[in-house]
Amino acid sequence: MAYSNKVIDHYENPRNVGSMDKNDDNVGTGLVGAPACGDVMRLQIRVDDDGKISDAKFKTFGCGSAIASSSLATEWLKGRTLEEATKIKNRDIAEELNLPPVKIHCSVLAEDAIKSAIEDFRRKQKAKRALQTQTQDDPEPAQEAQETPNAPSEGKRSLPIVSSQPER
Amino acid sequence: MNPFKILELEPRFDLDLDAAEHRHRELSRALHPDRFVGRPASERRLALSRAIEVNEAWRTLRDPVRRAEALLNLHGIDSGETSSAKADPELLMEMMEQREALAETRASKDLPRLRDLSATMRDRQARVLDALTKAFSHDPQTALPVLAELRYVRRFLEEASALEDELL
Ligand code: FES
Repeated sequence: MAYSNKVIDHYENPRNVGSMDKNDDNVGTGLVGAPACGDVMRLQIRVDDDGKISDAKFKTFGCGSAIASSSLATEWLKGRTLEEATKIKNRDIAEELNLPPVKIHCSVLAEDAIKSAIEDFRRKQKAKRALQTQTQDDPEPAQEAQETPNAPSEGKRSLPIVSSQPER
Repeated sequence: MNPFKILELEPRFDLDLDAAEHRHRELSRALHPDRFVGRPASERRLALSRAIEVNEAWRTLRDPVRRAEALLNLHGIDSGETSSAKADPELLMEMMEQREALAETRASKDLPRLRDLSATMRDRQARVLDALTKAFSHDPQTALPVLAELRYVRRFLEEASALEDELL
């Protein structure tokens, strides 16, 4: 089967291959698989405090179309808000890469990975907020993240910055 | 088309493959075009199309994934890619790790390690096949997630054997 030039380009020079610390609260990790073929994909996003995706990385064990789809997806994700990121659909990816119908499930994998990374990030943020609310001994409804500068905050552990693994 | 019926076999997952192959050979011989020389064209056509069916049935039954799909089909359960419920995150995580380990052996050209990984996965395949036999004898509906696992396992084994050829 002939791959389009764009697929070959992403396949030969995949952008943003690598990983980020999945335990970092600002990182959302999406891990998905295509039962149709048994291939797997991991896609991660780093979301800054302004709510924008500042970085995206992926690792795909799959066909050329899946690698190209996830590579393209990471490029598209950077600079978007989460809201905008959810608008990336497999159709857009398949169209951009000119994927034939039999390869659609590979771009679906990329869309699923984006969704699952966003879900993971949101879940983490929710858990973090819950933890902060809980650890504040204030009986009043918690005004979170309003700590006084000299009071060490309990809920907000400072997370070690773990640099992402070198790209291969 | 029910491949079990075509080969006149009892529909079960733990099929006796030798017996099935034997049946396939017998039927193929009986349907061989040489035996229909001088017979009416309609009879020859019929024999030919039956021979094709018999071949296809054997190809389906010898492959555990396709055999499982055929059984599910008999039970009216959709096993297509769209029916697949979200894969178990733990399974995906494991498969991602295994595929990463496989990629590492490619980079390090570590043949013994590769063989180790394959052996472990083949053990796992044997367990998954057992689990499928059990699922089919109790409740075919429970076979779906096991079948998904089998697909990931077999994908790994395919990749591993391709890599082994490459490293040899
Ligand atoms: S064939 Fe498996 S992801 Fe494309």
